[in-house]
Amino acid sequence: MNIDDLYRQLRLGHVQAQGIVDTISDPLVVLDTRLCVLSANRSFFETFNVDGFETIGKPIYELGKGQWDIPELRKLLVEIIPRATAIIDYEVETEFPDLGRRTMLVTARGLTHAGGPRSILLTIKDATETIQQDIAKDILYGEMRHRVRNLLTIAEVMARTTSTEGRTADQYRDTFLGRFRALTQAHEIALGEPGGLGLQRVIECILVPYATATSVVIDDSPETDLECASLVTLSLVFHELATNAAKYGALSAPEGRVHVWWEINEAVEELCLHWVESGGPPVAPQVRNGQGSMLIASSVEYTLAGQLKQRYLKEGLQLALTIPISKSSAGREQGHAKDRADSGR
Amino acid sequence: MQKTVLIVEDEVIIAMDMQATLESLGWIVIGPTPTVKGAMLLIDQELPSLAILDMNLGRDLVTPVAEALKSRDVPFLVASACLDPVALGGDVFIGITNIGKPFNEQGVIAALATLDWPDQC
Repeated sequence: MNIDDLYRQLRLGHVQAQGIVDTISDPLVVLDTRLCVLSANRSFFETFNVDGFETIGKPIYELGKGQWDIPELRKLLVEIIPRATAIIDYEVETEFPDLGRRTMLVTARGLTHAGGPRSILLTIKDATETIQQDIAKDILYGEMRHRVRNLLTIAEVMARTTSTEGRTADQYRDTFLGRFRALTQAHEIALGEPGGLGLQRVIECILVPYATATSVVIDDSPETDLECASLVTLSLVFHELATNAAKYGALSAPEGRVHVWWEINEAVEELCLHWVESGGPPVAPQVRNGQGSMLIASSVEYTLAGQLKQRYLKEGLQLALTIPISKSSAGREQGHAKDRADSGR
Repeated sequence: MQKTVLIVEDEVIIAMDMQATLESLGWIVIGPTPTVKGAMLLIDQELPSLAILDMNLGRDLVTPVAEALKSRDVPFLVASACLDPVALGGDVFIGITNIGKPFNEQGVIAALATLDWPDQC
């Protein structure tokens, strides 16, 4: 083999090696013992927005306006590397002029060539997004945990506060399970359809067990997106209304009707829901002032900050509840979670 | 002096239950109220002996209420499913007991006993 062939082979080997190194997607740089750049791959140039001319042969601390002059990295290169074979995923957080604040995971290996000088191979992985995703995941997990705990608390309190007085165990169980199911259903709908939680859907689902083909009429009303907590509370309210109607009101008689509709008053940002019973037995207010009625009143006034007006007419109960809504109520729940995710970073 | 407790909790059913528990323990309950605004109004009207706070009130955090109570030397407890009230609500929650959710009567009694409220003796 003559010297030209040898040169060609060496050159081919070099080009192939450089080709392999360039296909590695993480930035990679080789330093000599003085910490000057011997070579770097394409990803390094692209990620840090530098070119070969301003990189090769320069000390790493001077690269890209000194962006690599980071105390943690200096410590790694000067103190740790000479004593170790390899350091994996060493975390370096710093402000890069073109990239902003990033967290880089630096993996370093000392390369010793037979008889030659030692060099250091560094790969740099931008972990900023992964770390942020982890934080967001933790926050989401915390949020879920919070919701689950809250839900369990409500269920527990429901079991404790559902009255046992003058009731058989069966009656108690049915009352509790009715409330519990309304809670479950509302959450199912709320979690199943992120982004837009239709009031119509929720009310329909809650009233299905009580309705025959003609007994409950829900008018087409303006669709409105409420936040999860409000929907859950409204579900419980409608569940109690329906149970009361089935026990004492319009839904206790074959000819009875319940008519439901709502309107939105945008000027004052209010939602007004109507529940009008007819065709049932005449009911005196005191009969219906049980625990269910108390739950309705306190839910509307306390949790929803709304107003409740009810009239007991000969035809049946007429109830109107007004609750404040804000125009930006669509997707508010999601915005809330996002706000917190942002502030957690 | 009567012993009074302010309850700040946005879930009505939990608030009512907590009120009943505390009343059965001989406390006079102020509130309950579901909002920061409502809590602030109540504090301005009558300073409670102590307070029990939920961390999340709808879209708001209870932090301003905690700060108002702290500046007036009113001890308070947290009743929240949140694991780390300090991380969520800030330094005002350092050293504050979280009785958790669901809370139980024994837990409330034990936590109340740790508080140093003015008319305890």
